[in-house]
Amino acid sequence: MSKNRLIFLGVTAAVSLLYVYMTWIYAPPDVNLGELVRIFFQHVAPALVAYGMFGVTLVGGILYLWKGDLKYDILGAASVKLGLLFTTITLFSGMMWADATWGTPWNWDPRETTTLILWIAYACVLAYRASISDREKRAQFGSIFGIVAFPMVILSYFSIRIWETLHPIVIEPTGLEMAAEHGYTLMVSMIAVIMIATILVDLTYYVDSVHEKLQRIRMSRS
Amino acid sequence: MRHGLEAAFAIAKKDIVTQMRKKVEAFSMFLFALIAVLAFSFALVNQGSIPEEIGSAMLWVIIFFMGMFGFAPIFLSESETGTLAGLATAPIPAWSVYLGKVIYGFTLMGIVELFLIPIISLLFGFSILSNIPLAIAIFVIGTLDLAAVGSMASALTMPSDSKATVFPLVYFPTATTGLMLLIEITKIIVIGPGLVPVIVLIQILLAHLIAILTLSAAVFHFALSS
Repeated sequence: MSKNRLIFLGVTAAVSLLYVYMTWIYAPPDVNLGELVRIFFQHVAPALVAYGMFGVTLVGGILYLWKGDLKYDILGAASVKLGLLFTTITLFSGMMWADATWGTPWNWDPRETTTLILWIAYACVLAYRASISDREKRAQFGSIFGIVAFPMVILSYFSIRIWETLHPIVIEPTGLEMAAEHGYTLMVSMIAVIMIATILVDLTYYVDSVHEKLQRIRMSRS
Repeated sequence: MRHGLEAAFAIAKKDIVTQMRKKVEAFSMFLFALIAVLAFSFALVNQGSIPEEIGSAMLWVIIFFMGMFGFAPIFLSESETGTLAGLATAPIPAWSVYLGKVIYGFTLMGIVELFLIPIISLLFGFSILSNIPLAIAIFVIGTLDLAAVGSMASALTMPSDSKATVFPLVYFPTATTGLMLLIEITKIIVIGPGLVPVIVLIQILLAHLIAILTLSAAVFHFALSS
């Protein structure tokens, strides 16, 4: 492992510890939500990072089609997998929060439903990619699908403004609608989750690149 | 630009003429929709009727699934008859091929909807007559949105090893965005309170349509070149 990677890993571990401290000790109970506000910090950051991951899929797809370099396709596919992971965390933490505040884990709220549809949509991208055996075509068509699927991310993000919803709107154009301590905790949670996601992207990209090279060696020998 | 548009209309015309000769796709779409209405009725009818908002929402769900029959063969038939290579090498821009297929998909769905919508509104007991111009606009935009997504989905199935299975994998998630908006808009048209609340939703639907058309047209030459 390179020195830069080790330093980044160390900083991520330190920020993650700070994230745990701020979530469970520093942040005071909310006026309305009480102690339940702590679930909020495990929910918002993974949700925004999941959207970011699908954004990387979009950019990776555009770059692959533009430059034709397979590394962008590997990056795009890796970000789909991690986007799905963070969407899963978002869904489960959201269900825990919904169960505690609204009395049932699933309320068919527009944000819940569109997030689940988003999960299914990108799972379909992975399934679609797996159905194409030709490597070049998989990259080309997988990139196109990754681009065309992106409007679903936008709809999921804006769903709480389009439909009537139980979901709170905390990110307003004027800023965050919450106490200052909660705002700081949210910011640290965002930084920590982004850093963890970056490490995971790097790792997945590395594993997939090695897998790609192995496949090529196998094909050249057969 | 003009050359591309002429080519798009020529491709659409060729497909429509071929379809009018066979008629099998349009007819099977229509029959599927009727069967779906009857199947849904078992789940939805309560004391002899279906709530208006549910009936109007089911209309788009049926059209959405009907799209599978109409859109899936758009490029598959070209591939089977060996004419796809001709389209790919023709001296026309790739986006005109995509646009031609969208126009064909829209026309095919539109023809079936012309017969289907009155029947479904009658059976499900709701009326879209309260605002006819708005209803027509929504059906035009909605069908165009589904055709734009469906044509792209059909092109994306081409390189797959299992084409028939893969089409729903591509079509369902990409078309769901439009479907959700269409259901919401149609519900508001049917049960009120009218134009003002749906304007924002129509703008989002139009933005989705423009985004899908632009993105698909921009990347279509990659799909066609493979």
